[in-house]
Amino acid sequence: MVEIPEGTKTYTQDAAGRRTDEWSECLVLIASNEDRAAFTRFFRHFAPLIKAFALAGSSLSASLADELVQEVMLKVWQKAGGFNPEKAAASTWVYTIARNCRTDMFRRLQKFDTPLAEEDVMPDQGSEEPFAMLQDKRSQERVRDLMQGLPPDQMQILAKVYMEGKSHAEAAAELDLPLGTVKSRVRLAIQKLQIQIDR
Amino acid sequence: MAKFHPELDLLTEYAAGNLPLAQAACVSVHMNYCEQCQRTSGQLQNMGAALFEELQAEPVGDALLNTVLARLDDEAPLSYAKSSEWSAGRTPAILQRLMSGDLTDLVWKKITSSLSISYLKTGDPNYEFALYQIKAGGKIPEHTHHGSEMTLVLEGGFSDADGSYHQGDFLLRRPGDVHAPTAVQSEDCICLAVLDAPLKFTGWKYRWMNPFLQLRTG
Repeated sequence: MVEIPEGTKTYTQDAAGRRTDEWSECLVLIASNEDRAAFTRFFRHFAPLIKAFALAGSSLSASLADELVQEVMLKVWQKAGGFNPEKAAASTWVYTIARNCRTDMFRRLQKFDTPLAEEDVMPDQGSEEPFAMLQDKRSQERVRDLMQGLPPDQMQILAKVYMEGKSHAEAAAELDLPLGTVKSRVRLAIQKLQIQIDR
Repeated sequence: MAKFHPELDLLTEYAAGNLPLAQAACVSVHMNYCEQCQRTSGQLQNMGAALFEELQAEPVGDALLNTVLARLDDEAPLSYAKSSEWSAGRTPAILQRLMSGDLTDLVWKKITSSLSISYLKTGDPNYEFALYQIKAGGKIPEHTHHGSEMTLVLEGGFSDADGSYHQGDFLLRRPGDVHAPTAVQSEDCICLAVLDAPLKFTGWKYRWMNPFLQLRTG
């Protein structure tokens, strides 16, 4: 493990005492200095999560999961300059890269011949306007905190949809539940997480 | 500003990255015209990020780290160009890519006196992704849907028994829905339509074609 020099940085801490912006700092260092030590720290924390994401729903083999880890981490290196710590948490940013890479991998495995990459159909969300960015970031924190309080039946379905990449219909079939029940649990979770639906 | 939006369920599947490619492309074209849905889907994406952080970590060995470190040298420098941005007002970037040009460069296939269709290739084997051009005031004969149909208005507008739709409006028709859309009187209407391919037909076709395709590639 590469040591972070003591006394050179100040960190804010969350309730669990984690340095909440340690990973954002890594990305900034990678972008500004091509800092391999920062990249290594970042890898050690996120590669195991990316691998878990790849294996969720056991849809990819272990070797493909490792390939996905490589792909995502290389993208992290290339795209760190586009990361804006004012706008997103590092984990949110990495998640979107991992999600897009995994979808692209599924399509490659199914031999899709397409001019589109997943990031073409999932462009960067959100405004660069300071107030909007602050709201975005607060909403990310709120969702993360409130997630802990969701009942297991809602968590189970969210995990299927988001981590295992299942449609609502596939989740319903796997859990032997009516489609309407799955949809209403997702909606309830969305309400509890105080996600604003603009209409 | 768009008045008809994808339902929350659909936006959730979009934000989770689970929609079929052609449908995801269609929803993303709607986003191009709709800041509300951009914001909502951004928030829905945060749910995925929160779940991702809580995943049970899978061990990754140093060998993989070293492989990645060794490959960093080959990667393009960090000069970061924003590749994908919303582009309100212009022909949406995805469509430009798929059309390799602009609306005026398309080849249209005339179906009736007021309806022409231009098929675009997304590479999604299960969905047809096409532009429909309806002449001003023209009508598409009444039809039913065997599968689902997403429609997004790109230019002009049309109406049916349920309402009238303008630029950026998104509609999802389900199997059995019957309608007879009529374009507005003032200008031609161009829509994006994403349909389930007739699976039985396609499957039958593919089974016939597979041996020949294999021979060629072989």
